[in-house]
Amino acid sequence: METAATLPGWRANLATIAALMARAKNELLRVPGAAIPGVLAPTIFFLGLNGVFGALTQLKGFTTGAYESFIVPVSMLQGAGFTGAAAGVNLARDIEQGWTDRLLVSPAPRWVLLAGAVLAASARALIPATFVLVIALLLGAGWPGIGGLLIAYFMVAAMAAVAACWGSSLALRFKSQSAAPLMQAGMMALILTTTAYAPLLLLQPWMRSVAKVNPVTDVIEAARQGFVGGVSWAETWPGVVALLGLLVVLGAWALREMRRTAA
Amino acid sequence: MSELAVNMRVVRALGMRSIRQTFRRPQLMAPIVVFPTLLLAIQTGGAGGAINLPGFPPVHSFLQFMVAGAMMQSLMLAGNSGGIALAVDIEMGFTDRLFSAPIPRYTIVLGRLAGTAALGFFAALWFLAIALIFGATIHSGVAGALIAIALVTATAMAVGGIGAAIALRTGSASVVQGLFPLVLVVLFLSSAFFPNELMIQPAKAIAEYNPLSFVVEGVRGPIISGIDANELLDAVLAILGIVVLGLALSARALRHRLRVG
Amino acid sequence: MPAIVVEGLERTFDEVLAVRGVDLEVAEGEIFGFLGPNGAGKTTTVRMLTTLLLPTGGRATVAGHDVVKEARSVRASIGVALQEAALDPLMTGRELIRLQATLQGLPGAEGRRRADDLLDRVDLAEAADRRVGTYSGGMQRRLDLAAALVHEPRVLFLDEPTTGLDPVSRKTIWEEVRTLNDEGTTVFLTTQYLEEADQLADNVAIIDRGNIVAEGTPESLKAQIGHPHIQLQLAEGSVAEAEEVCSGIGRLLPPTDAKTILVEVENGAGDIARVVRALDDAGIAVESLELVKPTLDDVFVAKTGHHLPKDEEPEAESEQVEA
Repeated sequence: METAATLPGWRANLATIAALMARAKNELLRVPGAAIPGVLAPTIFFLGLNGVFGALTQLKGFTTGAYESFIVPVSMLQGAGFTGAAAGVNLARDIEQGWTDRLLVSPAPRWVLLAGAVLAASARALIPATFVLVIALLLGAGWPGIGGLLIAYFMVAAMAAVAACWGSSLALRFKSQSAAPLMQAGMMALILTTTAYAPLLLLQPWMRSVAKVNPVTDVIEAARQGFVGGVSWAETWPGVVALLGLLVVLGAWALREMRRTAA
Repeated sequence: MSELAVNMRVVRALGMRSIRQTFRRPQLMAPIVVFPTLLLAIQTGGAGGAINLPGFPPVHSFLQFMVAGAMMQSLMLAGNSGGIALAVDIEMGFTDRLFSAPIPRYTIVLGRLAGTAALGFFAALWFLAIALIFGATIHSGVAGALIAIALVTATAMAVGGIGAAIALRTGSASVVQGLFPLVLVVLFLSSAFFPNELMIQPAKAIAEYNPLSFVVEGVRGPIISGIDANELLDAVLAILGIVVLGLALSARALRHRLRVG
Repeated sequence: MPAIVVEGLERTFDEVLAVRGVDLEVAEGEIFGFLGPNGAGKTTTVRMLTTLLLPTGGRATVAGHDVVKEARSVRASIGVALQEAALDPLMTGRELIRLQATLQGLPGAEGRRRADDLLDRVDLAEAADRRVGTYSGGMQRRLDLAAALVHEPRVLFLDEPTTGLDPVSRKTIWEEVRTLNDEGTTVFLTTQYLEEADQLADNVAIIDRGNIVAEGTPESLKAQIGHPHIQLQLAEGSVAEAEEVCSGIGRLLPPTDAKTILVEVENGAGDIARVVRALDDAGIAVESLELVKPTLDDVFVAKTGHHLPKDEEPEAESEQVEA
């Protein structure tokens, strides 16, 4: 008995990634209110940080007079981190409930299974990012221009992919939703130990040291440039490189964990 | 033994259960301590230059200022966590066991709040230790520390009452858990993280009347400047206000729970 | 070429040897029953054969491919319905089977056609566009089975496919398994229910505590234990006389009470008529007569010293019996 005829490898892989992304959107569309926490958390942070720390712009050396412009890219990236980590939580739930076995027992390559979840998170992160952006613009944040906007969205999508790789690695390692706080806390630490709250020179010495080595600092600066000034390639490429580096490292870890699920 | 003594024994027994439950689940305790500590570190590192702003209260460091806010965040999460634990008891049917026992209903809620108070107490100690380790000083010394611990513990219990009320009303752990963003909202709209005078409108206006701001100032005062009777009185009255609100909501919710089963 | 070959397969978890050197062979086109109680190692073995778990010793090939070195080829050749139906409650039945088709690499149109055919086949066509979360347990198992078949696998693994199902749903699954097998699919079926193994399997291996304790066709395994016996009670007449009559037909067994006669017979039901005729000729009337056959549980007890769990009885039936 012969099994049914199949598509050539690359077409089958693309179709699988698309199908897994389609499944991921069910969570948003078919669970009432599922989108709310992901949108609410970064928005609350944006409004809260703006209302609480807005006076920091009065400090000598602050690069802009409008704190909402300064902080909006941080909140957009926080939304990306939250969304990506949530993808990890969803994977942990799928593992606990046995759904992941269905994927692992299929001939689809492991990287394809991971890519489906990661790309879904990237796409999904654009929703809270847009919500925060609209609120920020209504509150008087500077319009970043088309270039600045596209760069910011690119950073958001890529950051969500990084967060999804992080969350997926933890999900595959611990096989439990109880790892969720670690997924969220890790992203929070990565995104906020940067020039999130203030320019580099106004950070406390220890935070300045951390921010200098934290690759996400470049990501934030790249996403922020349109909101606080003009965009340039010089401000953008470090963020792109940082994200690619994080994707390679965390993606490799996630893939390794996925391959080790049978161990 | 008098009826009151008997009831207090019940409260103690349920309280011990609640405290054991709380401290036996590190994965639930961790977010209550880890997240606020992480945020404390990030905010002091990131926004620490704020102490140079004109009008900022005289402090040795931003950490000294922020410790009270971190305690508030922790106790709010503890209150939420206590509500979740009660909702889980309801979902699992454990509260039915208690309701069918010959004990006054208030002992059930009070016993649960004991766990929340224990978390608040632990949080206060933790953040005072963090502050001291990282070089912040407590202006009023031991007395100031004790006042901070007492206020935080009492507030944890008061906020726990509101968490318990929500748990009794909804009977759903996931609903109580979903209220976590509200914790952040309430904190941001208070003087937990920044002096009220330097906040931006409309957050500033709301923070001025937020009862949590009075509590925070009562906890913060002995740490950064000294013990102020008026500040303390405001804090105590605010806590009492939250207690009354929590009691009223809990009583109503309890009646509802007993009605629907 | 055998569909499945297992040689010395082992799996250790920390220091617990869950599967201890299992050897077996499943011929192409057969239904192979893997019978054992909970915790015997059935699911662990299946997870190794379906590449979800790496063996810590031994080797195995499925559909001609090594489960470790050629895992992807194994996955392309097998269909799997695991013990926990791996379903997504938010998806509809149709969406789930189409997703499975995509995972197996089927072209879109072919996948859609197969999904429709399979949903019809497992009697889920009407519920196909409802969310899986609204399905009953039986419907979920049928959907899981349909999803495992979407790419026409050479080998189908069913891990306890009827556990927790009512008798009607169980029989439906059995019929489907037989039909699949008639169409040429090799079926590797794990079960804790002896009746299921007895009814479905061409060959059975019995596993206990990680070891295969017996292997063969259900009939040959039962024959190893002994022949069936006839249990009869007399309406009137002498028991001693009846025993003497029966001893001419088969071997008398120790009676369980003074009024019951047990006689082991070689020809099973064929000897019933002989016994009844012989007793009738001797003027002895029989009140009740039952042919008691050895079961796989008897085989299990003989090999391991303890019983397999019994099938669950539907509550309504036992109430009627009590009334």
